[in-house]
Amino acid sequence: MNDLSQASAHAFQLLLSGNSEIWEIISLSFGVSFSAILIATPPALVIAFFLAFFQFPMRRALISLFNTFMSVPAVIIGLTLYLLLSRSGPLGDLRLLFTDKAMVIGQIMLSFPLLVAMAHASFQAADRRAWETAITLGASPARAFFTLMYEVRFGLIAAIVAGFGRVVAEIGCSMMVGGNILHATRNIPTAIALETSKGEFAQGIALGMVLLVLSLSLNAGVSIFQGKGELQA
Amino acid sequence: MSSLINFSNITISLSGKSILNIDQLDVPAHQCTLLTGRNGSGKTTLFKIMAGLLKPNSAEVHYQGLEMTWKQAKPYIQKDIIYLHQQPYLFDASVADNIAYGLHRLGENKAAAHKKVMQALDWANLSHLAHRSAKQLSGGEKQRVALTRARILSPRLLLLDEPTASMDTDAKQQTSLLLQRLKSEGVSIMISSHETHTIDHIADRHLHIENGQINTLERAVHSNKVTVLNTPKFNA
Ligand SMILES: Nc1ncnc2c1ncn2[C@@H]1O[C@H](COP(=O)(O)OP(=O)(O)OP(=O)(O)O)[C@@H](O)[C@H]1O
Ligand SMILES: [Mg+2]
Repeated sequence: MNDLSQASAHAFQLLLSGNSEIWEIISLSFGVSFSAILIATPPALVIAFFLAFFQFPMRRALISLFNTFMSVPAVIIGLTLYLLLSRSGPLGDLRLLFTDKAMVIGQIMLSFPLLVAMAHASFQAADRRAWETAITLGASPARAFFTLMYEVRFGLIAAIVAGFGRVVAEIGCSMMVGGNILHATRNIPTAIALETSKGEFAQGIALGMVLLVLSLSLNAGVSIFQGKGELQA
Repeated sequence: MSSLINFSNITISLSGKSILNIDQLDVPAHQCTLLTGRNGSGKTTLFKIMAGLLKPNSAEVHYQGLEMTWKQAKPYIQKDIIYLHQQPYLFDASVADNIAYGLHRLGENKAAAHKKVMQALDWANLSHLAHRSAKQLSGGEKQRVALTRARILSPRLLLLDEPTASMDTDAKQQTSLLLQRLKSEGVSIMISSHETHTIDHIADRHLHIENGQINTLERAVHSNKVTVLNTPKFNA
């Protein structure tokens, strides 16, 4: 018990003193997850829009596919990616295994179905008149798309925040394709797992607090934006 | 009476059901046409085809001396014909920004666009609402903003879907006034309604849609009296 309170006090100290290793891990986590969401979001939004606004063969099937892929465990995505990227795998020549790039790819795969499904729900709820009005007022399809995104922006922001929340906290995929290498691929979740298993509680607790605060605020953010979207509709 | 645009052989089926089968639809220039028909008769569907928003199964368009398929005509009709929804959709922005929306296409600079918007607001007597959020306006106010937003683009033809449904007398009068001004400015107008309504006195011509086809009804110009020739039933 005494150990635990001592460790917690030490954890605060580590965070506040700007312990370079801890902040390096935090910034790597953010960098990887930001990159993943940044890359995944534009194509996800376009696909979600097409799924919501146009009729084409296989549309229903695609929607259920994205919904289903949302529930694929991170560690399975990690395993698949590991097999693809390992030396003998089909993409082995890219030499991406155990790099932060591999982690970004994994997080893109992890967040993509969630982004599509949530954005699709927002576009689905959008008013068709918004699109028609933009077109009849002379907007190009591209501009009409941006107008529509603006009209449902709260729902889309909620989707992006939820996507970020999912990838920043996942451990299975990062562990498998990143390898938890200090200064290279160690992010918050893998560091927590490692430090704790070594009995180094202070760093684990410090990073845990960061992740907890982050996850709670992201979740609150999702609810706030979803609420705003509903109010507006 | 010169023709602005002529549609022929318009057919469309939705969910396997034939909705429209129109041989000829001529829209005269500088005139106001009233289009009546029961609920579900296909007025909205026809307007959306005419505005280039809904793809028909077939349609030919005669416009500006060109004979085109609907697909070929789409860029022209999207540019010159503006469709206004029964309940107009205003973007989540101020009234002034809504009115400025279409000016983007004309590529005008900010100052010129701003001036145009101010003039348009003045034209519609909406200056006092310029900075209000468009989402908060009443139905009648929204309709007038939508009309102004369309007018600023100098369309050749305005298609108004039941513009005065669910409006009180005062709002109807204000809308009617704006429509009359638009007509005097040379804009052709088509108004749809499931009943002959209070603003139809500005109409020069009366079409009726039934069983997917269009009949011309004779009417005394600028009077409220409508003579039904082909004896379709009205919910007057
Ligand atoms: N997307 C669609 N799929 C299937 N049927 C449709 C679709 N849109 C419209 N319809 C049908 O087409 C017919 C014509 O509809 P439309 O909205 O054009 O009628 P309307 O004359 O505008 O009616 P109202 O006076 O109620 O506005 C209706 O029977 C309607 O049910
Ligand atoms: Mg209608």
